[in-house]
Amino acid sequence: MGLAMTEPGAPVLALTDLSKTFGRRGGAVKAVRGVSLAVGAGEVYGFLGPNGAGKSTTIRMLIGLIAPTAGRVSLFGRDLAADPSLLRRVGSLVDGGAFYPFLSGRRNLEVLAKTHGDGEERIDALLDQVGLAKDAKRKVKAYSTGMRQRLGVAAALLNDPEIVILDEPVNGLDVAGIQEMRRLIRSLAADHDKTVFLSSHLLSEVQQVCDRVAIIHKGELVRESTVSGLLDQEATSLRVEAVPLDAAEAALRPHWPVERQGAALAVAAARADAPEVARRLIEAGVALFELAPVQRNLEDVFLALTQEDPADA
Amino acid sequence: MLDAISAEALKFRRHRATWGLVWIWPIGVVLLWLLSIGIDLAKGGSGGRGDADAAAWISNAVDFWSLPRQPIGRYLLGAFVAVVFAGEYGWNTWKLIVPHRARSTLIAAKYVVALALIACGFTLGAIMFNLFGWIEDLATGDPIPAGIAAGALLQAHALAALAALAPILLTTAYVSLAAILTRSTVAALVIGLVITTVEQLFRVYAPMLAFQAPGLVGALYQVLPGYHLGNIGYWLREGHALVVPFPSGPFSMAPAASLAIVAAWILGLTALTFRIFRRQDIN
Repeated sequence: MGLAMTEPGAPVLALTDLSKTFGRRGGAVKAVRGVSLAVGAGEVYGFLGPNGAGKSTTIRMLIGLIAPTAGRVSLFGRDLAADPSLLRRVGSLVDGGAFYPFLSGRRNLEVLAKTHGDGEERIDALLDQVGLAKDAKRKVKAYSTGMRQRLGVAAALLNDPEIVILDEPVNGLDVAGIQEMRRLIRSLAADHDKTVFLSSHLLSEVQQVCDRVAIIHKGELVRESTVSGLLDQEATSLRVEAVPLDAAEAALRPHWPVERQGAALAVAAARADAPEVARRLIEAGVALFELAPVQRNLEDVFLALTQEDPADA
Repeated sequence: MLDAISAEALKFRRHRATWGLVWIWPIGVVLLWLLSIGIDLAKGGSGGRGDADAAAWISNAVDFWSLPRQPIGRYLLGAFVAVVFAGEYGWNTWKLIVPHRARSTLIAAKYVVALALIACGFTLGAIMFNLFGWIEDLATGDPIPAGIAAGALLQAHALAALAALAPILLTTAYVSLAAILTRSTVAALVIGLVITTVEQLFRVYAPMLAFQAPGLVGALYQVLPGYHLGNIGYWLREGHALVVPFPSGPFSMAPAASLAIVAAWILGLTALTFRIFRRQDIN
């Protein structure tokens, strides 16, 4: 199975106006509202959102566990509802690896391989890859959360899928495990041409491994961008180093809020305003040494996009 | 489909509850017969089947197959089916397997494996029942009556197994539906217990209740599967329909009609299980 089976030019995974409402009439809860996004082949795509934002519901719709109320899931350019067998080209880890507790790790993978009709010959290699080879014969009920998580990753890769969907894959992992998972995710895309769609609340991890991210809040997609684009777009202040600083402050203050930060100024302006800031400083006869957007991390951006507006509360 | 069946078999061969609820039949037989032989020997006399003729001996030999019709048998069957179908919700493992196979295939595989394991348990139980009956006869000095042919014994077993099939399938049908609807092993088990108990009580007490509301009770008696299960078994054993005395006169139905009604219940409940599971959100 290869990417050649995808319709030419189509994203391997696309959601179009995807919505899900639980319950009816008065008790109806709109968990996901018109989410649209597209993931290209070989991308590592991060799906972020606070608890209850609709991430898990969206992922469950993506892998056929929940039927959408409206909208469409497309895999490899084709409608999932019309052809559920497309999911045979997808591997998934949801809920931290739910397994049969009375079976060993290896037996669990055997059950899954038999259910899938494929992959039994890969079990040993995968157990080795996720570091569970020596615990393969232990019953899963004796596994730690991290071990279950790693078995979940092995299960997700069992059918050699083209798309790997990982819901919170680093939950329960220690620092070394998180590093190993990061390497694995990167390697899936870089070395094995797989597309990875991952949700995580560890934003630093997402920032390090993802090419693009989508942020979902209250069931709606609030931003979709490359990680660097998102950080740049959401930069809301510019750092200015200029001499004399007082003159620089006087030139800018009528137009933007300005705050002194030691020998520099923090100007509350967007990245797009940088040329205008520079022009005003030069017109004021100030020597400009540095003008740069203050790079926020993904956590800052995430909080800015998903924090409750007190007016809404 | 064979892969999915193989996966189910692998799962439930290694699950303690399902294993126990299948092998309880042959193991239970062995334990009961050991107890019975022990009591007979302790009494020092013959507590065996005495001077039974061939027909009575054969009838006795296949008595084990009456268990699926009895409330205790159906409670145990219900418990087994509840674990097989609702276990996936408890372990949260539908999420593991649903993306990989059509839902109807997964449910069909469960029915195949559940019924195959039940068949194994009961067949082995019936073999043990006969084997230990023979050992008991030897131990207590009761001779096996003359004129018992292997063919006649096998035919009696086949007929008894056929009579056991309807209650097994019906119990499987309603407990599996309860399991899918409630997503809980305990709830499915309780619903199975309640339905079996109510069905048995209604079958016994309907003629008395008919004094109060003859029309309603009569209609329910004809529609609900209780009488019809009894009628099919009675017909296979005795060769004619079961007659029940009602205030309005004796009630009986043609066995073929009973067979059709029970089949309709089994198929209807099973179809509903498939339909609900195919549309169910797995959160």
